[in-house]
Amino acid sequence: MENIAAIEMAAEGRMDFAEMVHAHQSRVFSIAYHFLHDRALAEEVAQDVFLQLHRALPSLKSEAHITAWLCKVTSHRCIDYARRRRQDLELDSIAEPATRTPPGDPLMARRLQRVVASLPPKARIVIVLRYQEDLEPEEIARVLGWRLNTVKSQLQRSLSILRDKLGRALGEIAS
Amino acid sequence: MNRLENELRNAMRREEPPEGFAGRVLARTQETKQGAWTGIFASRSLRWALAGAMCLALAVAGIEHKRAQDERARGEAAKQQLMLALRITADKLQIAQEKVQQHSSSWTY
Repeated sequence: MENIAAIEMAAEGRMDFAEMVHAHQSRVFSIAYHFLHDRALAEEVAQDVFLQLHRALPSLKSEAHITAWLCKVTSHRCIDYARRRRQDLELDSIAEPATRTPPGDPLMARRLQRVVASLPPKARIVIVLRYQEDLEPEEIARVLGWRLNTVKSQLQRSLSILRDKLGRALGEIAS
Repeated sequence: MNRLENELRNAMRREEPPEGFAGRVLARTQETKQGAWTGIFASRSLRWALAGAMCLALAVAGIEHKRAQDERARGEAAKQQLMLALRITADKLQIAQEKVQQHSSSWTY
């Protein structure tokens, strides 16, 4: 709740931009990180997104607007970056993440992160927004400006690829 | 929700950015503010464009100055011609007047 109030104040020009960066940095950085699978690149993208936010701030009216704007801009920047780099990476070319171990099954989490990073850009961003940000397909469609059917089909396609790859790799969760 | 989705939520947990991230963002916003103008001149293509624009402006100013000078010179020449024409006309009028006076005096006697 503190964050929401602070962001509303910032949108009205009464809060320091620094507080807004602190409030949203993990969201923006994580979308970029889970998409790009590279902390340095993710930081670069996240910094660019916040610089863009700094310029766009006068036109953003509310906390919800700012959050949706950040998700949209970060997602599109990641997709653009992947397209420029033609970054549909082969699974074997993706390094193990240099990050703290998530709770739960750390082996499975790392394997999932690598497989997600190998998905095509559109399928990858849908998975990140769905399972990192916990957005419903309708919300993802709104954020990305895509049709709902596109989002749903990308989601199904991604889950199918993940089941296939993880099923073959581990033989554990082919459900 | 199936196990895959649970595992995905776990794997896609938010990560904190590297130490000092916010500070670096704020430093870049300050640089952007200060460097808004210097940044324009830092770009090589923009430097060339500005140099080209300045050359063009100087050329246009030079041409305009020359045109104004020529116009002044033409005006001055026209004025001199008019003065000469007026002088000649005045002389002719003077001669004509003198002849008329001579003629009228010869008729009087």
